[in-house]
Amino acid sequence: MKSVVISKVACVTALGSGPDALWQGLLDGRSGIAQLQRFNCENYVSSLAACIEDLTAPLEGSRLDPLLEQLAEQLGEVPQDARLLVASTKGEIDRLDVSVRAGEALPQAVLFEPLLKKISRRFGLRDGGMNINAACASSTIALARSAALVAAGQAEVVLVYAADIVSEFVFSGFSALQALSAEPCKPFDKQRQGLNLGEAGVALLLMSEARAARQAQPPLATIVGWGAANDAHHVTAPARDGSGLFLACRAALKKAAINAAQIAAINAHGTGTPYNDAMELTAFQNLFADDLPPLHGIKGSVGHCLGAAGGLEVLVAGYALQQQMIPGTLGCEQPEDTGQRRISVAPQEICGDYLLCTNSGFGGINAALVLQGGDR
Amino acid sequence: MKAWINGIGWVTPAGFGQGRQSQSPPLQAGELQIPTRKDLFARIDRRFGRLDDFSRIGLAAVTFCLRDAGAEAWQKKRPLGIIAASRYGCLQTDLDYLQTLIPQQGKLASPNLFAYTLPNCFLGEAALRFGLTGNSLIINRRDPSRLAALQTGMEELSWSEQCGILVGIVDLVAPPELAAEDDLPGSLFLLLETTPRSEISSYGELELQNEQLFFNSDRLENLSQLIAACLQVTASVVDGGEKIPDS
Repeated sequence: MKSVVISKVACVTALGSGPDALWQGLLDGRSGIAQLQRFNCENYVSSLAACIEDLTAPLEGSRLDPLLEQLAEQLGEVPQDARLLVASTKGEIDRLDVSVRAGEALPQAVLFEPLLKKISRRFGLRDGGMNINAACASSTIALARSAALVAAGQAEVVLVYAADIVSEFVFSGFSALQALSAEPCKPFDKQRQGLNLGEAGVALLLMSEARAARQAQPPLATIVGWGAANDAHHVTAPARDGSGLFLACRAALKKAAINAAQIAAINAHGTGTPYNDAMELTAFQNLFADDLPPLHGIKGSVGHCLGAAGGLEVLVAGYALQQQMIPGTLGCEQPEDTGQRRISVAPQEICGDYLLCTNSGFGGINAALVLQGGDR
Repeated sequence: MKAWINGIGWVTPAGFGQGRQSQSPPLQAGELQIPTRKDLFARIDRRFGRLDDFSRIGLAAVTFCLRDAGAEAWQKKRPLGIIAASRYGCLQTDLDYLQTLIPQQGKLASPNLFAYTLPNCFLGEAALRFGLTGNSLIINRRDPSRLAALQTGMEELSWSEQCGILVGIVDLVAPPELAAEDDLPGSLFLLLETTPRSEISSYGELELQNEQLFFNSDRLENLSQLIAACLQVTASVVDGGEKIPDS
């Protein structure tokens, strides 16, 4: 099995443009969650979201367009033979909304094929790409698949591109489900009331270790384990026992050929909804017993970025392993009992080589990745 | 990587069917009938009533597929995954949801419809009903051969510990302005397993070699070719070549 490294990364979030801006913003405890100006929120349970500053759609375009430009500029040259895996839950949903409200014919852009073509062309790739839709675990599943492709020698380089925007379509839906928090969200806090949506674009270039060495590309981290499992219990609510997340984590640890005690820290999904966070803590307790490692989540800073969430979190995990530190979990003033002394609003030092990243989504999907620190 | 094709089920303009009870080609253009609960399950099922049309055709084809393989009933959850390819996804549900969102500026936005505005949600419904714990995802890509989910599923089987995977296609009839000439509305799933089943004869062996799919050693060009080959196998092996009437 070939070793799979993350060799280049790019991102845009409510905390700014670029991985360094995200990392420093997280360490500084900054939050991108603010009053939404994009649409009228008076009929919704919340008016907060983490939007990217000045992200506007061009005429007859989508907000995903400027995001693609920024990510392409940040990432620089990508090998033409890279495979393309895209992770977006709703693609150019803003184009659909505008067309329906205007009573116009639907543009092709509401489908994923044109989006794939646009991304592939912008990066100059030969591969036409594939979009993976696994709800909020989409980019984690895309990264797992990419790692598996490279490890099996079926691809040398894979570009994982994940992006989702804050739209009234999705915002109103989460509001109708009573899943939004009217206040800044509080992942893993005893008083948590729901999530805040966010938007982001993230690109991660994965390649075999040998290819990275040939290209003199120092890796951010190595993906050494991955797993996914379904524990559908309800279409939008997670299984209370966390059995799917537990299975996904166990598969990832097995693939990495390590045991739970070797995990230095966890980057959890941590949406801030009562059920999700409780489910995660149950799964982690089953996995780690009384030895839960330091744990954090970034959605109190950048909101829940849906299909892009996992990609962003893996990027942050790579930085965390390099600097042996995890950012604080903004909003978690009173951690749930299981997370006591393991979750903090302040950054925590960690010690070890491996970090576990997890995400879960509608439809009962759970995914886990194990990252190993690299030299940079 | 090799796997056995142990079940086939579909909801298409040709009707509702499962491989061992039909030899007529299921993949064809035309009007698509959306299955009702009675077409699938004998008992009253409130969950089914809540599903959007996209989920209904997807879940129905999965159900017929598992039934065809004798794998519908279960006692213990099983590590089976589901991968479905879709061009339009749940676009119709998105449009229906927008009709609840726009008129009263969000006041009447339907939480039930919103829950199905992610195309993978029906995979969760299938996992819940049939005790499936494997990976589950929807893929979107340009794929005139309609083999993308099969290839992705075979790859998934080769690098995971899943014992099988349901792979298929799901699409409702597209809005006219988006429809493509080669659209085939409906859903069709195959059950691929790493071992043959003892209680039924398998349709045959699928192999992935250098990104090419082979069925019983013949290279596959498209899904229609595979299904035709499978149904011929059923006719000759199960019924001595005699055709069974469609269900």
